[in-house]
Amino acid sequence: MHLDKTLDCIGLFCPMPIAKTKQELDKMNPGQTLEILADDPGFEKDLPAWCRMTGEKLVALEKEGNIFKGYVTKK
Amino acid sequence: MKDKMTIILFSGELDKAIAAFTLATTAALSGMEVTIFFTFWGLNVLKKTTYTVTGSQNILQKMFNLMSPATLPISKLNMFGLGPWMMRRLMRKSKMASLEDMMKLARELKIKYIACTTSCGVLGLGPEHLVGEVDEFAGAATYLAEARESNINLFI
Repeated sequence: MHLDKTLDCIGLFCPMPIAKTKQELDKMNPGQTLEILADDPGFEKDLPAWCRMTGEKLVALEKEGNIFKGYVTKK
Repeated sequence: MKDKMTIILFSGELDKAIAAFTLATTAALSGMEVTIFFTFWGLNVLKKTTYTVTGSQNILQKMFNLMSPATLPISKLNMFGLGPWMMRRLMRKSKMASLEDMMKLARELKIKYIACTTSCGVLGLGPEHLVGEVDEFAGAATYLAEARESNINLFI
């Protein structure tokens, strides 16, 4: 997978990981992929839900230990 | 048409305001148009200064505003201000966003603030007492017109 940017949201709680994801995607170009790192347990459900609402493409969501890695391609 | 959400913020407590602003900012971040209607105790969230007592108010309004300052209590375990202090400290320690952070984000996301004119009138509050971000001063009909077009309407 080609990554264009990584966003570190470790230590942040809802709604900040989603807020930062949105703000970061706003700065990127369509087709570019953002990697988001987060450890808020809610992020595992919140990122797919947010992508469903906004139409952004969730490419993958992985879990490593207690860190989630989300991959979103800008629509 | 854009999805819309409205919240009536009736409560003037820190914990409830945080809940309202968490949902409002997340909805706006998800592409919804969000309106918050501040009424009664909820207006305390918008007060510019701690004690909003001015010459234009009658004695009861002055007393009321003195006893209902902009320093928000919490809805349980307030313990004369110790509760909110502990809550803010815990939130900072766990790096949770503060109410002020979320209100700043709300403005960046263009969340609309409506202040209830009836409550403002009863409490002797004018635009000069509230933060400059209030978009409209209006009443129930304005709120209902917005709520009718919205998919999500909350009363907090």
